[in-house]
Amino acid sequence: MKMLITTALLLASMNTFALTADEIVAKSNQAVRYAGTDGKSDVNMVITDAKGGQRIRKFRILRLNTGGGTQKFYVYFKAPADVRRQVFMVWKKVKRGQHDNRWLFLPALNLVKPIAPGDKRTSFVGSDFVYEDISGRALWEDKHELVKETGRHYLIKNTPHNPRAVDFRAYTVTIDKKTFLPIKAEYTDKNGKLFRRIKVVKVKTIQGYPTVVKSRVDDLARGTHTISTCSNVEYNTGLKEKIFTERFLRRPPREATR
Amino acid sequence: MLSLRQNADGRPEITVPTPFVPDLQPASARKRILAKVFGNDPNDLFDENGDSVIINLELVSPSVVDNIKQAERGALKIEYLMEQSPITRDEALTIRDDAMSNLLYKGTLVSEDGKAIALYIPIVAKTYSYNVTNLVEKLTADWPAEDQVHITGQPVAQDTFGIEMLTQMASSAPLAGLAVFLLLLLFFRRVSLIIAPMIVAIISIVCTTGLLINLGFSVHIMSSMIAIFLMPIAVADSVHILSEFFETYHRFRDKKETVRHVIGHLFMPMLYTTLTTMAGFASLAFTPIPPVRIFGAHIAFGVGVAWLLTMTLIPAYIMLFVPNQALDRIPAPAPDHKRRGLDGFLEKLGAFSYKRWKLILMLSVLTVIVSAAGIRHIQVNDNPVKWFTKDHRIRVADDVLNRHFGGTYIAYLTLTPDGLDTCTYVEALDSMADAARRRFAAKLPEQTERFIALLDAQQAEYRNRDTCDPDKYFVHLIEEAEKLDEAVTAPWITLSDEINYLESAALASPATLRAALPNAPAELFQGLEALSGEALREAALVITDEYTGLSFTRFLHEMRAEITAPPFKQPAMLRWTDRLQEHLAELPKVGKTGSAVGVLKKASYELQYIDPAGVPEELRPEVERRNAANYQVPESAAACGQVFIQLEGMKKKDSLFHLVTRDYRQANIWLQLTSGDNTDMASVVEATEEFIAANPPPVPMRVRWAGLNYLNVVWQDKMVAGMLSALGSSFVVVLIMMMLLFRSPLYGLLAMVPLSVTIIFIYGLVGWIGKDYDMPIAVLSSLTLGLSVDFAIHFLKRAHELQKKLGSWSIVIREMFKEPALAISRNAIIISIGFLPLLLAPLVPYRTVGIFLATIMAVSWLATLFILAALVTALRKWLFKDEASGLVEQNGV
Repeated sequence: MKMLITTALLLASMNTFALTADEIVAKSNQAVRYAGTDGKSDVNMVITDAKGGQRIRKFRILRLNTGGGTQKFYVYFKAPADVRRQVFMVWKKVKRGQHDNRWLFLPALNLVKPIAPGDKRTSFVGSDFVYEDISGRALWEDKHELVKETGRHYLIKNTPHNPRAVDFRAYTVTIDKKTFLPIKAEYTDKNGKLFRRIKVVKVKTIQGYPTVVKSRVDDLARGTHTISTCSNVEYNTGLKEKIFTERFLRRPPREATR
Repeated sequence: MLSLRQNADGRPEITVPTPFVPDLQPASARKRILAKVFGNDPNDLFDENGDSVIINLELVSPSVVDNIKQAERGALKIEYLMEQSPITRDEALTIRDDAMSNLLYKGTLVSEDGKAIALYIPIVAKTYSYNVTNLVEKLTADWPAEDQVHITGQPVAQDTFGIEMLTQMASSAPLAGLAVFLLLLLFFRRVSLIIAPMIVAIISIVCTTGLLINLGFSVHIMSSMIAIFLMPIAVADSVHILSEFFETYHRFRDKKETVRHVIGHLFMPMLYTTLTTMAGFASLAFTPIPPVRIFGAHIAFGVGVAWLLTMTLIPAYIMLFVPNQALDRIPAPAPDHKRRGLDGFLEKLGAFSYKRWKLILMLSVLTVIVSAAGIRHIQVNDNPVKWFTKDHRIRVADDVLNRHFGGTYIAYLTLTPDGLDTCTYVEALDSMADAARRRFAAKLPEQTERFIALLDAQQAEYRNRDTCDPDKYFVHLIEEAEKLDEAVTAPWITLSDEINYLESAALASPATLRAALPNAPAELFQGLEALSGEALREAALVITDEYTGLSFTRFLHEMRAEITAPPFKQPAMLRWTDRLQEHLAELPKVGKTGSAVGVLKKASYELQYIDPAGVPEELRPEVERRNAANYQVPESAAACGQVFIQLEGMKKKDSLFHLVTRDYRQANIWLQLTSGDNTDMASVVEATEEFIAANPPPVPMRVRWAGLNYLNVVWQDKMVAGMLSALGSSFVVVLIMMMLLFRSPLYGLLAMVPLSVTIIFIYGLVGWIGKDYDMPIAVLSSLTLGLSVDFAIHFLKRAHELQKKLGSWSIVIREMFKEPALAISRNAIIISIGFLPLLLAPLVPYRTVGIFLATIMAVSWLATLFILAALVTALRKWLFKDEASGLVEQNGV
């Protein structure tokens, strides 16, 4: 028995040890972005500027895994009052050379507008999060190196293959060995200076899935930060793929509104 | 520029595309030496943390400004104007066309003729602009000759001025010294003698400059002139001593005796001339302009030092270093010695002043009247770029850039809500009731009445409250409205949702639809007969929309967005801002204006753009008309808010917040002016005030101006007021000093006459020739006061003494025009000539000062010798009444 446990432990530690940087990143990506078959969450973002002024964004986000790493997102805005019923929708692609499809619905103009593939590192509705933080960055876009490993964490350095397409030179991610959730990401600019940091503030296990329920991103160059808090998180709710279509932009599905 | 960083050796390093360290040392050896002397390190491009002084986040160039445009299949593309450096001509032209089609960039980033491009390089402090300019020049040095690079802007002008001023100082001050030296040599013909005043001048300059630097003041255009001002003034007293010494040595044939005699009767006038000069300059210390204050206080200090040195060093020097033999060779003037040159001329002048005093006084009065009229034409104006001569590269760049672009002089107009927010919620309830009637009354009369009753109850409740939080009130209203909706709209919303979810099998025909929706009311199926598939679903949904649209909850949410919208999300306020900009853009010197409204209009246009090529021919005109109409402020606050939130997510993060605050309560309008003249800026300010008075904004706004260009206007007002009060107060101080010195109000007033005439004449001249009244000109007034009263003091003091001795004015005046007038004339000439090297300067203010000082000296010299002599002649009965008997007591020796 004792022997068995030791062997198991040994195997486990060997197994962990044997993980390559790419494997760690892939597992982490799975843990943080693909939990369950689908997911639903109410997000409250508080954007604080350098002078302490605050703005809020409230939205419901629906996510559906559509196989092969692809996903669909439906982001339905509830606040501030003027952007109520605004929708942002993404069909995420992960294959090299493919681009996400993105749409915008502006209710006050009764306008559905596709957004051309382009920079995903622009601010998400004025917050310090970028679009890529919401839908995720394709793994093939960076070279991953395991820089450091401690008892609890992996430290992965990610260097973009196409540095011209991004605003950073590299970023490091600290990944929790137990949950494989990234708990901190630090971005350095072209001069090697730290300019952006995302930190996980609170993790909660929901329906068995370790879930980031509170995170904070700091724009160190501008002195602004955004805190994002998730509530009413649910997995495996049985979302239908058809709601992630243009038709549902103008008339939002009950999963988004209720 | 973006990649500028400090490398391991502390040198600037740039990556385009591989890192390299540019050689920033000036090409010419002379400039290299000067940079060394003045400690200007061209590699100094970093702040104390080693960060680049160029503010990357604020840089404006094609590769970092947003471009919002149409992409394939009607998609919206958000990218930088220049994502990658163009390789082909077509790529380059696309960038140009994108920029030209964006009103924000046309005339700002790309010239209206498409031939020039502008980069706006923000830096952390003005002092780096010279080095940044140098960096840009070095980096573009290998560009082909047909691609010209011009660099301008207020900070560059001011900083370049500063650096060139230093080189100016280094050449002008020694030249002034040389000129003074040569003049002294001409007057006294003995190097051994005139070394002393030169030492006095140099020591006082070194002390003053030392004080300036030790007190930690930076060298400014004003303080750079300290040396040049002090040089001639410092030698003035020595000139009086030396003049007198020479004229009287033959009487004593003894150095000690002569010195004693000279100092004896020059002490009081010299003390007073020094005090008045100091008072004139010290008065500048009370102006509101720091550089002028520093200048005034330091010159006053330097003049004091010079006086102390003159009173101690000069006599000591004469005793120690001037050989007796040299002095013994000075011949005693024969009584009938025929004077030639300056002294001969002066004697004739004296005779003229005495005989023609009435004519002189008449001409003087006439001059004063004509000059006073000229003063009314004075134009107060300053523009740092105009400090450079016309062919200077900054002036040329300024010309070129302002011809191609909307203007390089930037001013900002900030609109801030005036006073506290008044609670408009109660009033808003009235308009909400009206809107509710319009939307609901026909279809839901009963619910409408209940809803309006709700609004009335709210109004009654909140009418007398002074606090106002509409969000809070809406929470309650929305809860109530949900109950109202429950009966009517809720079933329709459920139905709509169901239709939306229906599988395509259920949409085969209206019959299958009816089967799939057993609980649907009959209204749903009207007019759907011929349809099937998605068309059927859409038609059914359009019907449900009609009923779901009758939601009081949604109505309240919409109203809430409108009522709680901050000023710069309200369409009325945004349109007003747009009109203000249109008005401003029509002003002659305003090239362009920009604001969040322009950005909003462009985004609204691009978001709603429909490609006419993609619609049937007959619809094209309508599509084009609609596209054009979308280049507007959207109709509702919600629509404005939704367009703005897209702009908050532009590639250049937070660029919108340069134009509007994050809470959309304050907005900035930037103006590009094609002229940096204060007068032009002032007229823009005036035109804005007129527009706002005639067209009050929908939300009361306070208007504030900012920007270097506007600061110059404020500064100019301060300058005029400050200089006037400085002049006034120093006039009074000097007048009191004169009355004390002469122990007579009449003498005191008389002493003020030449300088008053001079000041009036000089400013009359400035007015008549149309020279702008700028800082150097303003400073001249106090200078005139301090310097020209000296002549009057010497003249009156000596006249008074001689009158006591000789008793008859007709004899006195002849004596007056010998040695005393000679000393005064020599001083006037020294000061005039001493300032003449300034005329060689490439910087206009120095030339101005040079010319005007020479003029001032000439005029006050004339005013003293002519007008004062004529006045004394006219007033001799009153002036000399107690010495009428004459020959009473001897003074001095």
